[in-house]
Amino acid sequence: MHVAVASGKGGTGKTLVATNLAVHLQRTGRRVTLVDCDVDAPNAALFLDAPLSATPVTVAVPVVPPEGACPDSCTACRDACPFGALRVLGGRPVVFADLCHHCGLCTTACPAGVLRMQPVEVGRVHAGRTGDGLRLVVGTLEVGLTEAPAVVRAARRLGVSEASDVVVLDAPPGAACAVVATLHRADLAVLVTDATAFGLHDLRLMVELCREMEVPAVVALNRAGLGDVDVPAWCREEDLPLVGHLPFDRRVAACYADGALLLDAFPPARLWFAEIAAAVERHGASRGAEVPA
Amino acid sequence: MRTLLVASGKGGTGKTTVTAVLVALAARECRVAVADCDVEASNLPLALRATVTTREPFAGPPQVVVDERRCRGCGACVRACPFDAMAIGPEGHAAVDPWLCESCGACVRACPADAIALVPQVAGALFVGECWAGPVVWGDLRPGEDLSGRLVALVREHAADLARRHDADLLLVDGPPGVGCPAIAAMVGVDAVLAVTEPTPAAVHDLRRLAGLAVQLRVPVAVVLNKVDLSPSGAEFVRAACAELGLALVAEVRFDAELPRLMEAVASGRTEPARLAAVTGVGGIHAVWAGLAPLVGAGS
Repeated sequence: MHVAVASGKGGTGKTLVATNLAVHLQRTGRRVTLVDCDVDAPNAALFLDAPLSATPVTVAVPVVPPEGACPDSCTACRDACPFGALRVLGGRPVVFADLCHHCGLCTTACPAGVLRMQPVEVGRVHAGRTGDGLRLVVGTLEVGLTEAPAVVRAARRLGVSEASDVVVLDAPPGAACAVVATLHRADLAVLVTDATAFGLHDLRLMVELCREMEVPAVVALNRAGLGDVDVPAWCREEDLPLVGHLPFDRRVAACYADGALLLDAFPPARLWFAEIAAAVERHGASRGAEVPA
Repeated sequence: MRTLLVASGKGGTGKTTVTAVLVALAARECRVAVADCDVEASNLPLALRATVTTREPFAGPPQVVVDERRCRGCGACVRACPFDAMAIGPEGHAAVDPWLCESCGACVRACPADAIALVPQVAGALFVGECWAGPVVWGDLRPGEDLSGRLVALVREHAADLARRHDADLLLVDGPPGVGCPAIAAMVGVDAVLAVTEPTPAAVHDLRRLAGLAVQLRVPVAVVLNKVDLSPSGAEFVRAACAELGLALVAEVRFDAELPRLMEAVASGRTEPARLAAVTGVGGIHAVWAGLAPLVGAGS
């Protein structure tokens, strides 16, 4: 079963929940893979001691054919590109890689067969295992590039390359394409929020997205007591299960700041992760969910 | 006019809080305009209690629509789709997975029955409005849409235009988290970046990535270390990282629960947003503007 930990707003505690939830599930007898899908700012590995090995993630981009290879005044590739990523200059195509969606329609359209795709590295995926046996997969986007969804998908593919009972996905903030790639066909979303007006504004967007994507969602409240929003009442209104809360406590923040796993360094927090884990288990049992291939 | 982007790499370090306070402080010394470029989670309008003057739709990529009366279920679209977004459903008709579709139109061209069309769709909205300190521009991307970078660029364009018309001295931009396409669109061509960080390994890790992006885009970076008192060792780590990366650490702000409480009171309408300027002694956050004013050429 695939459980995405998401939030809309940044800094609500996604990585905190994803790492501790994964470790809790692993320690209670599940085989768990944690996939860090926040490829812009991947932080899960900072909290887990797992030696990682990297493999490149590539996308296919067309290569400019050699001079003289293109038929005279041919613009077939440019005309075929739906994204405006090709222009013809001086009798040859020029590729704007930032606009390319890697569909390959240009190469199919090339009447001379001289336009080919070649792989370009856009990021890396790293995989390893902690001493507890938890498998960790991390996606990292190359700084300056815009291919976050491709790296997320590569990390998720690597995440299911070995069998596990639960795959925990640490989502990026926001609600756009990289989040969609993380939530796609997930079995459950754990939406982490705080009780501020800002947290609620962004939580609403995530709930809307989960409904559209048909991913069932539960809400986990972090930093309870900081903010005016009655999150339990809001969840009741929206018919969303609220799976516990963690009160605001400077010791929690200090623990996170020191890079420690809250489960180990702050025992009062264990209950919260146990509650979230119980919700995950209940959901899995009700669906009879298996890890999708 | 100078443009300052407030950014962070990691989410939740305090970008919007710092921006709202900077708006209040800057407005005492110069004319400001404001933009929120976090179009996936635009919280600055809440923190400024901005009112909407105009709203225009933001066109997203067109949507693939299958006419089931015409579709014969031949599967030509499934074979043509480069994104594995088409499938023949249980009823024998083509069905698109909108979450995989990238609107290339290959299915439309491949369909022998003329059953597939690309239909324009609205993917969000661009807002122009006002707050107590000046004009505000922001965008709301519909959840699940791509093209957040394009909407960010549109917000930047409108904000710069409006700021010039208001004869603003300073355009303050609240950026998105991360270093991906919306972050790039928010950073291109600004005069300076104020990176908000905190004394955590995660924030420092992401600050390094943000600084790397700024080097590529040739934009100078100043740093504010927020919540500095949460971890003395983490704070040391941030200071060392700034020194190593050659980033100016312009201020250190202590964590004070008064500030989030005040932000909440402003957002819920119990407190006037201008009060953010009056209480900026909280945690030492006033030092951000003092450290920054020379960088953005204001207040001189």
